[in-house]
Amino acid sequence: MIDVENLGKTFSVHAKEPGLKGSLKALFRRQVVTKPAVRDVRFHVDEGEIVGLVGANGAGKTTLVKMLAGIIYPTAGDARVLGFRPWERDNRFRRQIALIMGQKAQLWWDLPAEDCFLLLKEIYQIPQDRYRAALDELATLLEVRTLLNIQIRRLSLGERMKMELIAALLHRPRVVYLDEPTIGLDLTAQRAIRDFILRYREEHRPAMIVTSHYMEDIERLCRRILILREGELVFDGSLEKVVRTYAEHKVVTAHLARTENGAPVSSDVERLGQIELCNDVTIRLRVERARVAEVAAELLRRYPVADIAIEEIDIGTIIERIQRARQEVRT
Amino acid sequence: MTPRLFWHVCGVEARKRMSYRVDFWLSSIGGFLAQLGVAYFIVLALFHGSGRPTIGGFTFQGMILYYAAVILLGRVVRGTEADQTIAQDIYEGGLTRYLLYPTSYTVFKYAQNVGTLVPALLQLFLLGAWFPLALGTPEGARITGASIAMGVGASVLASVLYFLLVWPIQAIAFWADNVWSLMLAHRILANLMGGLLVPLTLFPEWAQRALALLPFPLLFAFPVDALLGRLDLHQWLKGIALGLLWCTALIVIGRAVWRRGDRRYAGVGI
Repeated sequence: MIDVENLGKTFSVHAKEPGLKGSLKALFRRQVVTKPAVRDVRFHVDEGEIVGLVGANGAGKTTLVKMLAGIIYPTAGDARVLGFRPWERDNRFRRQIALIMGQKAQLWWDLPAEDCFLLLKEIYQIPQDRYRAALDELATLLEVRTLLNIQIRRLSLGERMKMELIAALLHRPRVVYLDEPTIGLDLTAQRAIRDFILRYREEHRPAMIVTSHYMEDIERLCRRILILREGELVFDGSLEKVVRTYAEHKVVTAHLARTENGAPVSSDVERLGQIELCNDVTIRLRVERARVAEVAAELLRRYPVADIAIEEIDIGTIIERIQRARQEVRT
Repeated sequence: MTPRLFWHVCGVEARKRMSYRVDFWLSSIGGFLAQLGVAYFIVLALFHGSGRPTIGGFTFQGMILYYAAVILLGRVVRGTEADQTIAQDIYEGGLTRYLLYPTSYTVFKYAQNVGTLVPALLQLFLLGAWFPLALGTPEGARITGASIAMGVGASVLASVLYFLLVWPIQAIAFWADNVWSLMLAHRILANLMGGLLVPLTLFPEWAQRALALLPFPLLFAFPVDALLGRLDLHQWLKGIALGLLWCTALIVIGRAVWRRGDRRYAGVGI
């Protein structure tokens, strides 16, 4: 569904020296700096797949998504989405894709949501019965049926995001780009949006690319991730594989019941794993994967454990490690 | 874009405009009376100072009627905010959402612009209809069914022409972040050379001959003259033909500028 071949984008931006002198100089002569935002990226996404696109700020995630949605032109390489070159903006292509940008409202601020949807119905030429069915389904899933007649600007951020999702999915796109879909939302709203995306994927099987800085988005939604670093694709593979390769450890956290014995002795705990935290209420250890069960059993045997949790290392930390490893290989 | 979508966009925009009641009445009555008041005192001073019964072919009454008509029709031609929306979309990244839609951005924007004209049309009927009745029809003006029809046709052409003139200028926002000064220059030129600030018959003969080849008089003076029955059919047809020629030229220019600019669009941020 999405085929990307050596895609690249270089922006020309104007640089200006600081201060008044710099401003005056720039009036007559400006320095143009070329900035490669995406370099030589290649990957493929299948129907029904949700791929996470991750990387630091400025890594080129949004630029890549904008090229695949046909908003901006690439400066190198090629891409086909549903058999079309996105930036040629064929209407048959545009009828089958959607882009949701969490940082940018796409709906008309002064209109009630349903008026926006009716306008989109006309833009995408959705037949009345299909429109009704899609709106009913989406509004029910997202629990916003009672809010459809309220002006967009009077809705909360979470409600607005839900309306953005409805607007983007009314025409049943086969390819969906979600650029930071949960940014700024509270935890409950984030969870609702993630659950909705998963259910929508189950029922309609679109290809989806999700960019997010919230690792929970990536962990919940994506089995496969693409990692971008300074515009280059440095990893394309399963999330599970990344975790296995770059996270040889898990984090075991034991919450202790209060006793009069005081804090556990560090030297005793040290034998079980690398200590991250150790006091009279919590022991947190970094433990090799193969020893996790043994260590958990040992903690339960030795200490008054009220609760125990075994977690993977945060995906953000893993990505940092991958990037660091690549840098070391280069130098 | 289908005609159905075009009218739907117009309808949405019109509803949006009229949902702000205070704004509608303030601009309807306050704005109109302020502009007409200024024009009234300038015309009064002009006639008083010259001591002549007619200036540029207008009697005092005729010139007041001209100003009333050109102020109201000018709003219909210009829309309420066509001047900046395209440049703003480019600068702020609002263009992004339109590029995703399977429809032409420019036609969509024009449909929105037509939607913004609805309040101006209402103002024209509310304030303009009784004006000739109150002032009487001055010499040289003859409002008939035919003149109203010619005025409507000329106004439609003027609205398209105004939009097409503004379109390539606003597309310069692909290169320059701020085109406000260019738009201001355009507005002053169009108002002056279009007959919104002063009737074109007050210009020297050579200037009138030069202006007759430019698109500006077709924006304001032409629809007003057609509406007030100052044009015969031949003059009207000549104006319409010239307008269509300018529209074609501006479409070619606008498309070329847009195509080049579009390649530079980054949609805010990298």
